[in-house]
Amino acid sequence: MSIKTAFSSKRVRLIAVTSSALLGIASLTVPTAAHAASVFKVATSAAVTTWDPIQSFSTEAFYMTNIYEPLLWKNPDGVSPEYTPALATSWSSSKDGKTWTFKLRAGATFHDGSPVNAAAVKASFEASKKIGGAGFIWDPLKTIDATSDDTVVISLSYAAPMDLIASSTYGAYIVNPKTLTAVATNSNYYESGKDGGSGPYTISSYKAGSSVVLTEYAKHWATEKPAYPTIDISIVSDGITAQQMMTSGQVDWATNIPLTSMTSFKRNNKYSVIKYKSPFNYLGYFNTLRAPLNNPVVRQALSMALNYREIAAVGGQGYATQARGPVPVGIYPYDPAIPQYKMARAKAKLMLSSAGVKNLTIKITYASENSAEARFVPLIKDAFEAIGVTAEVQGILFNQQWAAAKKDPANAQDLFIVKYWPTYSDAGVDNLWSLFHSSTKPFFNLSYWKNAAYDKLVDDAVELSGSDKAAAQKLYSQAMLMLYKEAPGLYLYDEAQVSVIPKKFSIPKYNINYPFSAFFAGVKLAQ
Amino acid sequence: MKILWKRLSSALLVLLAASFVTFTLARVIPSDPALAYIGPKATEADSAQLRITLGLDQPIPVQYFKYIGQTLQGNWGYSLSSKQPVLQEIADRLPSTLELIFFAMGFALIFGVAMGVYAAKYRGRLQDSVIRLLSIAGVSMPAFWLGLLLQMLFAGRLTWFPATGQFDIELKYDNPITKITGFPIFDSIITGNFAATMNGLHHMILPALTLSAYSFGLISRMARANLLEVMSQDYIKVARAYGLSERLIFFKLALRNALPPILTITGLSTAYLITGTFFVEQVYNWPGIGSFAVNSLISIDYPAIMGITLLAAIGYLVINFIVDLIHAKLDPRVWMR
Repeated sequence: MSIKTAFSSKRVRLIAVTSSALLGIASLTVPTAAHAASVFKVATSAAVTTWDPIQSFSTEAFYMTNIYEPLLWKNPDGVSPEYTPALATSWSSSKDGKTWTFKLRAGATFHDGSPVNAAAVKASFEASKKIGGAGFIWDPLKTIDATSDDTVVISLSYAAPMDLIASSTYGAYIVNPKTLTAVATNSNYYESGKDGGSGPYTISSYKAGSSVVLTEYAKHWATEKPAYPTIDISIVSDGITAQQMMTSGQVDWATNIPLTSMTSFKRNNKYSVIKYKSPFNYLGYFNTLRAPLNNPVVRQALSMALNYREIAAVGGQGYATQARGPVPVGIYPYDPAIPQYKMARAKAKLMLSSAGVKNLTIKITYASENSAEARFVPLIKDAFEAIGVTAEVQGILFNQQWAAAKKDPANAQDLFIVKYWPTYSDAGVDNLWSLFHSSTKPFFNLSYWKNAAYDKLVDDAVELSGSDKAAAQKLYSQAMLMLYKEAPGLYLYDEAQVSVIPKKFSIPKYNINYPFSAFFAGVKLAQ
Repeated sequence: MKILWKRLSSALLVLLAASFVTFTLARVIPSDPALAYIGPKATEADSAQLRITLGLDQPIPVQYFKYIGQTLQGNWGYSLSSKQPVLQEIADRLPSTLELIFFAMGFALIFGVAMGVYAAKYRGRLQDSVIRLLSIAGVSMPAFWLGLLLQMLFAGRLTWFPATGQFDIELKYDNPITKITGFPIFDSIITGNFAATMNGLHHMILPALTLSAYSFGLISRMARANLLEVMSQDYIKVARAYGLSERLIFFKLALRNALPPILTITGLSTAYLITGTFFVEQVYNWPGIGSFAVNSLISIDYPAIMGITLLAAIGYLVINFIVDLIHAKLDPRVWMR
């Protein structure tokens, strides 16, 4: 009785009332201001590794293509013309493909008002070749001459498609020479969010890992001005959170909606779900240094164990197709005639038996932060176990996975799962060369495979691609056929890009050549 | 005074041990800092050069002593991801996290003590069972799961609260907060920007409730148990025999004696909230130390991880020290033990 009397006091009620009031006041609060019509709000997972346009080689491309411009923009396959002029208005090449002349746009200026001229182009390309993250794309570059203020002549040591290279998403931006000088003395010059671009937007604020605000560059050369002079971008690594932000109206558009949510968006009449080809390709590298994986028959047998349709369905959530080698569909030199492995487990068992393989255990590593890999790798394990091969799966962060694979190849993983995409839209120069060309020290050839015949095919094709693309394609196809037969890798699937677009807005279509980018100057309210 | 020094010196040892373990672990994990610094396609030459620049080519003990020396001088290194000084990154984010912890602890204390008292009052009845259930749920539900659940229900379905963020994005264009102390809600109050204050409180509710769940469960259970125990003590019976009022007995005698254990548990759970923010800030996209910690861990950003660990260790020690002081104030026998 006494304890109840004590607790029945007014103070108890006061505590309860105060607590309720606190919650009540806050819950009754309404959001403050009305939507600022000039601001387009975006949620994305695109982190900024660097703001340096020369060093840039990662997901900051999402922002960079709004701040910087190359000489040309490459249009998606099937769109004519192949290129849209950016800072160059016309261009031509010599018959042998070794000399290229670009005429620059009159009136284009950098964000500090200084003119975009031939000297800036020369300085940018030379800096990119020398110190750029994607410097290798300038490998054929011999000399670059600023023959006049608005003309550059590029001489190459071998024929190369300079129009394609000059439209690369990495390493091809034209940068203000003053900025290049500033960064030479202060390597952190860019990191607070400064820029040296000429694009339709400039960085007005940046909070690392949190937000980026872009504002319109009023003196940009384009006649059509952006409908949204301010782009407010929240960096949100979690896809579900980004989704919640878009559906609750906190942002206008979220770019990183999980594939697992697409079904619900398809049912929502406020959004369009659009599927595009993407440059993303999933594959696995067999460790060809170690027995019995040094035997192509064993690798072929393991390739036959997989149920590719199931892997693509689970990994790509219905937005993926089985790959034909490491070149993704829609990217040169993709060849639809390249054969694919099909599931044939009985035959795979026989092949393993004929190769004398018993009690094989395979260690598979994948990037734990990649949710698609986390979904489909167990299927690879099950497939191997179905043919009597034990699989140990290890999900670790990609940089740990990669560091371990490069450190000690002979004792590294047996199968390395990776998501790969070309630096620019030539998967011959990149995917076929980077992933399987011999190298003295492993970098991206993590199957450690060495094949002189393959190397020659790819090297010859790279040199031919600037002058005779069709002939280069033939050599690349032979190389891809060799990859199929020798099976240094497991060719899993090509992932589609799936965009969820709020019907309220008109947003430029996804461009496979700029896979991480959004072009905000073209965003407007839908009619 | 002697005991004070003893506590301080043991705190220093804990800090050194925590920093050494974290430092060593961060160095032995196979990973490439160049990846975090330059990007996933960093070349081997870039990687090698960066190791020299960051001093990663030197023996671990040398690196550690250099690190300690620089840390004591206020140089906590540069984040590999953002390239900004770690101390500045922490200073920029800490106020947002502290505000979140403050509100979460406020919720936990107010609701925890109130519910504990209420449960004690209705001991063995339906109300007691419901509160017990809520407390157990609060303690046992993972913060990231509870966060998503609250977010889906109250932001997604009912749209009562915003799903994420500290303020509406429009606020920075229409009612920008003038930075005075760095604590956004506090700054909005002292500058009279009440639109921002209300907006901030509106955004605060869900993350603070999520973060407070664990502490709420602990505090309510502890409050109930302690009050029941104290109320059954002989001195309470004596007080009653002397005819003291129930209110006096409860607030002057019982609650005061039930408080120290509640205080201890409050201190400990406040320290727990520091790491609890890792999940909550990630779910609610809160621009604080928690989301910085998660991003740093994902990118194996050594300097940032070290900085956050050091900060968390300091936070734990300071909070426990304060709890000890308050405990001693309430019960002077503590210093004599």
